[in-house]
Amino acid sequence: MAAWVKGGATDAETAIAAAATLLAAARAPVVAGLCAELAAVRAAIHLAGTLGASLDTAGAAGTYAELGALSRTGAMLTTPAEALGRADTVLVLGAAPWDAPILPALAAGAPTRGRAAGTERALLSIGGPGNGATRHVAYPQESGALALSVAHLRAFAKGHLAGESAYADLARRLFAAQYGVAVYDPAELGELGIEMLQGLVKDLNETTRFFTLPLSGPNQDRAVVQLSAWTTGQAPRLGFGRGLPEHDPWRFDSARQVRAGEADAALWLASLPSPRPDWLGRLPSVAIVGEGSPDAVADAAEIVIAVGVPGESTGGALWNEGRATVTYQPATGAPAELTAADVLGRIRDRLTDQKGA
Amino acid sequence: MLTRISGGRVVDPTAGRDAVGDVWIEDGRVVAPSERQPDRTIDATGCVVMAGGVEVHSHIAGGNVVLSRLLLPDLYVSEAAPEGHPFAHAGGSAAWIGANYARMGYTTAVEPAMPPVSALSTQLELADIPLLDRAALCVMGNDDHLLQLLRDREGKAAVRDLVALNVATSRALGVKCINAGGASAFKDGALTLSLDDEIPTYGLSTRKIMTALLDAVEEIGVPHPLHVHCNNLGLPGADNSFVATLEAAEGRRIHFAHAQFYAYGVVDPENPMTGGFRSAAARITEAIEAHPNATFDVGQVVFGQTVTISLDILRQFAGRKGANPKKWILTAGDAEGGGVVPFLYRPRGPTSSLQWAIGLELMLLSRDPERTILTTDHPNGGPFTEYPRIIHLLMDKEARDREIATLPKVVGERSSLPGIEREYTLSEIAQLTRSGPAKLLGLDDRGHLRAGARADVAIYRDDRDRTAMFSRARLVLKDGVTIVEDGEVVDWRAGHTLELSVESDKAMARRTDTYLQDRFGQGLASFAVPDEAFPVADVFEDVACRA
Repeated sequence: MAAWVKGGATDAETAIAAAATLLAAARAPVVAGLCAELAAVRAAIHLAGTLGASLDTAGAAGTYAELGALSRTGAMLTTPAEALGRADTVLVLGAAPWDAPILPALAAGAPTRGRAAGTERALLSIGGPGNGATRHVAYPQESGALALSVAHLRAFAKGHLAGESAYADLARRLFAAQYGVAVYDPAELGELGIEMLQGLVKDLNETTRFFTLPLSGPNQDRAVVQLSAWTTGQAPRLGFGRGLPEHDPWRFDSARQVRAGEADAALWLASLPSPRPDWLGRLPSVAIVGEGSPDAVADAAEIVIAVGVPGESTGGALWNEGRATVTYQPATGAPAELTAADVLGRIRDRLTDQKGA
Repeated sequence: MLTRISGGRVVDPTAGRDAVGDVWIEDGRVVAPSERQPDRTIDATGCVVMAGGVEVHSHIAGGNVVLSRLLLPDLYVSEAAPEGHPFAHAGGSAAWIGANYARMGYTTAVEPAMPPVSALSTQLELADIPLLDRAALCVMGNDDHLLQLLRDREGKAAVRDLVALNVATSRALGVKCINAGGASAFKDGALTLSLDDEIPTYGLSTRKIMTALLDAVEEIGVPHPLHVHCNNLGLPGADNSFVATLEAAEGRRIHFAHAQFYAYGVVDPENPMTGGFRSAAARITEAIEAHPNATFDVGQVVFGQTVTISLDILRQFAGRKGANPKKWILTAGDAEGGGVVPFLYRPRGPTSSLQWAIGLELMLLSRDPERTILTTDHPNGGPFTEYPRIIHLLMDKEARDREIATLPKVVGERSSLPGIEREYTLSEIAQLTRSGPAKLLGLDDRGHLRAGARADVAIYRDDRDRTAMFSRARLVLKDGVTIVEDGEVVDWRAGHTLELSVESDKAMARRTDTYLQDRFGQGLASFAVPDEAFPVADVFEDVACRA
């Protein structure tokens, strides 16, 4: 176990007491990161509720692009296993998905379930690397954003644009799919692009079956969104300053709050690896980070507490990208002395005790 | 501690009680009247004393419930939280759900649609619902593994072992099938499915899948019968699907979910899909009477904005055209899929008025309220918080007439509701909301106030305004501890998640592990719901299989 207060090594209890004091003195604290096992995130949400803090996640850009489009138009979704097992047509949007582990599997495989079983899989792409894989047809991205390309593709698919063009050809191929899947990275495609893509996929479903498969980043945002929704009725970003959960992606953007001078203290939670924000050093802060991580050092924040890493030195419920759901990852090594949930719970207990005293 | 609830009108139809009397409680259980001096006496004079309410079908947890919150973040109103629980006033949250059930005197609630592939997140969410005992039903009927076994005619034992393994792994209380085969058919391009239609690529039918599950549930000894969501929900002529499914059960125990959505007879046989529908409530209740093996819950509609949540992706895909507001989410999931479609039951609209009337008709025509369970299929027909108003309408013909007078004439033309004189008694309400659902779930320890019962007790001020009476219980006890006083939560304790204690076959576990590795690249362990995943200890409580 390692803990530091103002650069000096100390024991856990002292660091927890100092963290409680620091946070109790704040008028507008932020709780950010949330790159951790669900038990820890749950404890962080409860702590934020007690503090009246705002709440922000590590994977914010992709998360809000996805959530914004979702609440405005909805979505048609599928899972990685269904894409691998059923898709005869895969549309890859942008460059980022090519780094995802599912892409080689999709490129190498073919549908084995459903009506497309036994056929070959066509891999179509916009804005990715050029032709290369077998059965891969790359379409150029139009000048401007990827979202604009999706808009033009949808216009051809709907018949709003006519004539022989690459996108007219691509639209025909999409309609010919028996089970199509569009793979994208929400942060890269952006909110308007996602909204346009979902519209395209809904149009395609008037005649065939086509779904989207958004890829998640290395953070835990997918799991955090679920937990936040059932705990507070709302997705992050959230603020509890007025005694009720309020969802506002702009207002409760932790970086913006710090930049604007609205926040006066921060708690950073990252028991899993997550880049530490540069703003953390600009205000009184507590960092709860995984043991052995580059941030488990004395100068990472005013107060630093190292905790178990889920899946390594502690067990935890985590987002499982391959299964697109939450699964439990047991510890694979020696258990840590402290878990993030325990530390956050003890901070909250101290705040509650102080309030009651 | 010995507690005496004294002087209230005790309503327990399972013991033939409906009279002023006492209820004695000790160590979390109802006990026989005692000669000893009670440690605590609760004066229930002028009150009605019932067992805690039991909910059998309410969508309170799971991936689609989460998605509904993201699709419609403004559906519920959040209010500033008073001291006690930070999120109990956060509209639609788990704590809000627990608090609102408890305030109405409910102490147990079941989420009816947990896909085994996402059991852990559903169970984590359920565990965050305070105050109540809760449980989930494991949904099967569209999974490739099960369909393969059936297609390959592997026999009843294999199906039984796979069902038992799914129940055990997901830690469910029972089994549900939702438009069996429908999700698979939808993914292969189908837009409708009836009981004997062939499911593409498997050569199966809903009948074959459902009857296999009926057999498996019986063989395992699951106390709750197979919980069935039939084909063709919400379509004119759905009554035919309901009756055909009832007959297909061939005497095996079966529970029908949200029967109101199937009690739609065709008006014009020449144009069945365009000629509208009329009430088939009488047909449904007569069919249920003739089949003592069957029960149903109602799925009562209430007027206003809601969101429909269902794993019946075939139905939800069709329903997208009626989305209000015009947005929806459909998920082609690993087995079941599902859909989240917002819907407005238009106040005084002809269709929603008829749906409203049919739900009440089902309850008022039923001669056996214990096999007729009050639900709104929350939130599909409307929120569960409307139960007090529905009870009021069942108990008060005048109130019903006043409401009907505001509605379009179609209510009288296509349903028999205006002519029904019946008013439910308190005993019948207790059957509808307590003893019936508890028996249905096979939970002998609740739904009644006989000695040995769990001390889950609701005490209401007797009030002719039944809406007011059942909205805010005067006192609610969970396991003998007061959790609600005058409609406000006073003790934020946690209940338990009820799971069936079922043995799973090791050979089937190995075989399934291999199947899952092949399909997901991850084995059975990634589907597990281990105690260690929960932030607190003592989450689960075992329920035994039938002997």
